[in-house]
Amino acid sequence: MSAPHIYRWDLDKTYLQTDFDSLGALLRTAFQRAADKENVPGSAELLRALRADSAGNALIYFVSGSPRQMRQVLSEKLRLDGIHFDGFILKDNLRNLLKGRFKALKEQVGYKLPALLQARVDADVRSGETLFGDDAERDALVYSLYADLLAQRVSPETLESVLDLSGVYPDGREAIHSALDRLPQCDPVERVIIHLDRRSPPIRFEAYGPRVVPVYNYFQAALVLFQDGRLEAQGVGRLATALRDRYRFTLPMLLRSFQDTLRRGIVDYDAAARLGRQAESVGVSGEIIELFAREAREVNMVAPPRRAQQVPDYPKLLQREIQRHAIEKARRKSRKRWL
Amino acid sequence: MTTIALDAMGGDNGVSAAVRAAAAVSLAQETGVLLVGDREAIDAELRKTRYDASYLSVHHASQAIGMAESPKAALEANPDASLLVGARLVSEGAADALVSAGNTGAAILACARHFNVLPGVPRTALAAVVPTERRRGPHDDPFSLLLDVGATLDASADALVAFAHMGSAYAARISRNARPRVALLSNGEEPYKGPKAVIEAHARLKADPHINFIGNVEGVDLPRGKADVVVTAGFTGNVVLKMLEGISETVLDMARAANRSKLAWKAGLFMLRGGILQLKNVTDWQQYGGAPILGFDHLFIKAHGRSGQRAIQNALKVASKASRSNLCAEIAQTLRAQTPAPEAGPSGGGEPA
Repeated sequence: MSAPHIYRWDLDKTYLQTDFDSLGALLRTAFQRAADKENVPGSAELLRALRADSAGNALIYFVSGSPRQMRQVLSEKLRLDGIHFDGFILKDNLRNLLKGRFKALKEQVGYKLPALLQARVDADVRSGETLFGDDAERDALVYSLYADLLAQRVSPETLESVLDLSGVYPDGREAIHSALDRLPQCDPVERVIIHLDRRSPPIRFEAYGPRVVPVYNYFQAALVLFQDGRLEAQGVGRLATALRDRYRFTLPMLLRSFQDTLRRGIVDYDAAARLGRQAESVGVSGEIIELFAREAREVNMVAPPRRAQQVPDYPKLLQREIQRHAIEKARRKSRKRWL
Repeated sequence: MTTIALDAMGGDNGVSAAVRAAAAVSLAQETGVLLVGDREAIDAELRKTRYDASYLSVHHASQAIGMAESPKAALEANPDASLLVGARLVSEGAADALVSAGNTGAAILACARHFNVLPGVPRTALAAVVPTERRRGPHDDPFSLLLDVGATLDASADALVAFAHMGSAYAARISRNARPRVALLSNGEEPYKGPKAVIEAHARLKADPHINFIGNVEGVDLPRGKADVVVTAGFTGNVVLKMLEGISETVLDMARAANRSKLAWKAGLFMLRGGILQLKNVTDWQQYGGAPILGFDHLFIKAHGRSGQRAIQNALKVASKASRSNLCAEIAQTLRAQTPAPEAGPSGGGEPA
């Protein structure tokens, strides 16, 4: 039997529509019941489709920055959504508070990177991975760094530089090095899907190479996963139908999203044509998928050239992220010239 | 959900302003925007911009018409121009309305080529909103509608009467002003004053039960807001509109200069900032989002050639609102109620001012 494929998901703003942009919203989120928590449209349906199309050969893990105290309510939410998961890592923020590590409460690299590496230690070395995150934090950077560390494409100096810039505490560094020592060289990360919760400009993610794909909705993610061979045409059709029926996505909205994937070159024309052909043969949601195939033909555009995957300059990217965060903060505070 | 086609290549600020405006509208998740123009240039701009892919699409058009080009010759030479393609897409039902900040004359001719002139419309009219002291409608709108401001040079009495009906229908739908006050722009309030066409139109509008005609108004009455809809020929309308914009910009420039020259003036202006900002908002043409061309069976909104992102964004909003309220059908119905209907002109476009 082939090794199971691993799907690792972030939770807030990737799977769940979480608002923690203000203290009030953060408190509301903390005390929300499982049944009141809302999904990012299509997230649960996509996860179920991925599980179904893998014929039981997929593993689903969640790695979230939510505190461990929320495990029960979050597990309950996933149960309500019909998601069977294989692992669930939450942040020990109580420990961070007690130790006075206030920076660690929000910091991502020092939490997610060791969590991902340690989880990989227990995985089948042949297993491929698809990772899901969002643009609210530094998921693209952390996931890419994780992929390149596993493939031993990142020098120790570069890693130290990133850890220094992120202010990772000694025990976090220790956990990273310990996991890396135990991991064999492998290159399992196929795809990093970034849900554009904040609608960040796509250019922000170009430096990470074509492995990182920013998407505006999970229909776009489904198209990418179909192209990657992780989802069947039926799965794409079912997701499109679910978005239309449950989340008020209209057919023009789906068509525009589809066109966007073609224009940005994250889905190629061969995959679009294949989607049309498969939809005809399986006869499920054929009407919707046939429309997509027609759109692909009508758009008749030259796809943008494929970019080669290169190792990004992680310290530079992290510095840029830190700067961007500071500029956004300053912009929010600054007062406009009144006259 | 309405979809608005936007000529991405028109206007002094080019693709950048159009794309950023479309992107901003897409983020509001209410209106779909179909960007028409050079796909590579549009996508190059989009990748740097926050947008929502579910509300934004692109239709490639390989040619564009410059602001200074002769309208007729430019349309002949550029059959795949973004303006022409946009108008065609609207006529085919791919979008509900067209917005462009490009060459006004070419835009009107492009519409005349792909849209049908409504029965009873001898000439189409470009309508613009002008800021006024008086407010009207449920939203206290501080502006009147002025038409025509440049679709034609001159206008017959038939055309002026049709403009009055179209303007009245527009004000009723868009400003939700149930019975807008309509006036003719002239050089005196007396019914016998003005050019022959104005005198004849005055007589006909006065006898028309379908319109709330209040007579003639003079230039001085325009900023006061004596009428909700002011009707005039395109040449005069265009001169009036540009003069009002010029005054507003000059006054603000003078205030800015005063703000820089003396500390005491700066302090005084700062204390008055509430009122000045209100005035600035009311007189800011970018706020009003372009001028609709009335008289076609499809809607076209002409944004100012100098439009930046905000002005085009507002033009898109106006187009969306007008489409949702079924403006063209409302105008057609208003004109049908008018008797006797004047004979329609051959193109409806005429020579743009």
